[in-house]
Amino acid sequence: MKRTVVAAIAAAAFIVPFVAQPRAQDLPRRLGGENGPRKATDAKRPAPMLADGTVDLSGVWTGGGDATIPRMLGKQKLDELLQPWAKEKLAAVKEADDPYFYCMPGGPLRITGGFAWRLVQTPTDHAKYIFMLQEGNAHTFRQFFMDGRKHPEDPDPGWYGHSIGHWEGKTLVVDTIGLNDKFWLDGSGIPHTEKLHLIERYTRTDYNTLERVVTIDDPGTFTKPFDVKYTAKLGEPNSEIVEYYCIENNQWGERTNSDATAKAIPVVK
Amino acid sequence: MYRNFGVLILGFAVSALALAVPASAHHSWTAEYDAQKPIKISGVVSKVEWTNPHTHFYVDVADASGKVTTWNFEMASTPALERAGWSRKTLPVGTMVTVEGFAGRSVAERAIVTSFKGPDGKDFFVPKLGN
Repeated sequence: MKRTVVAAIAAAAFIVPFVAQPRAQDLPRRLGGENGPRKATDAKRPAPMLADGTVDLSGVWTGGGDATIPRMLGKQKLDELLQPWAKEKLAAVKEADDPYFYCMPGGPLRITGGFAWRLVQTPTDHAKYIFMLQEGNAHTFRQFFMDGRKHPEDPDPGWYGHSIGHWEGKTLVVDTIGLNDKFWLDGSGIPHTEKLHLIERYTRTDYNTLERVVTIDDPGTFTKPFDVKYTAKLGEPNSEIVEYYCIENNQWGERTNSDATAKAIPVVK
Repeated sequence: MYRNFGVLILGFAVSALALAVPASAHHSWTAEYDAQKPIKISGVVSKVEWTNPHTHFYVDVADASGKVTTWNFEMASTPALERAGWSRKTLPVGTMVTVEGFAGRSVAERAIVTSFKGPDGKDFFVPKLGN
């Protein structure tokens, strides 16, 4: 039996080289995103506008929420911002325990690399929304209410919270509260409380670039509010977001958890 | 001749290889894979899991005694691979491949991929992703 297997492998080694295999670099780049080329000339084009006078933010974007807070601010500044309990908790964090690796939602701040997302504007009279459709990591959406409503008095905390948006000139301002404390604020494991309040400012500085400045305010975790700045890039023309279900075949917990019996989730193969 | 398919553990300078290491879309790879364990393996693709959060290519490798070991090679997500021109048919079962990467910390016969070469020795592009 063993000899048969080995013989089959040996035979395959001789047969396969004569069968032309398509190579990745020969195939059309069907989808945009981080690994797809953009037109260099697009950088000089201004941000497009919608008929209602607001900036057209639609398109497939990549990046814009990936860098960790310590990387952006530096350790010293972060130390000044963290309350003692948060500093202690961060110091004890193990990367393997990030809920994100178990396919849980990453929360509103994190938009991780390698995935694309799309903004969809519906500035009609009866439905004023902007949706952020996220390919990864939870394959989910955020919804920004653009009709002038206020936040609920005491929203039940969720993974993406309650978001209301308005325009300040050419900048979209999104205010989010009602967040739970189950996700990590960023990939470094910075904790937060249900008092977390995010104010995002999205500015399409040119055709290809979407600047995202976020004020992070959590009086339960930080000594004062602070800003972080991300930059998202437009995918290539005709880009699409694509299907991605993290829970399908996540082998993470099987290999990293100190409890050898722990499994991330049922595996579908 | 079975030696052709043998496992070659090459003592590459890790610092040189580190430049080509792909971070993963879903998570960083260092919790699972060991940068001190560079590997180079030739074998035959025996199973393709075109899945998420990551794709897995299983490669059967025979040693000098004829013992076959199945390695589990982890690659990026399907969106990342599709954007780089891959499909589930790019490396079908039966393809002879040479793979470079870093072996697992807790499971020996698995590795993250830094280089995939097809039967003609030419490179398949391994997407380098954000962290």
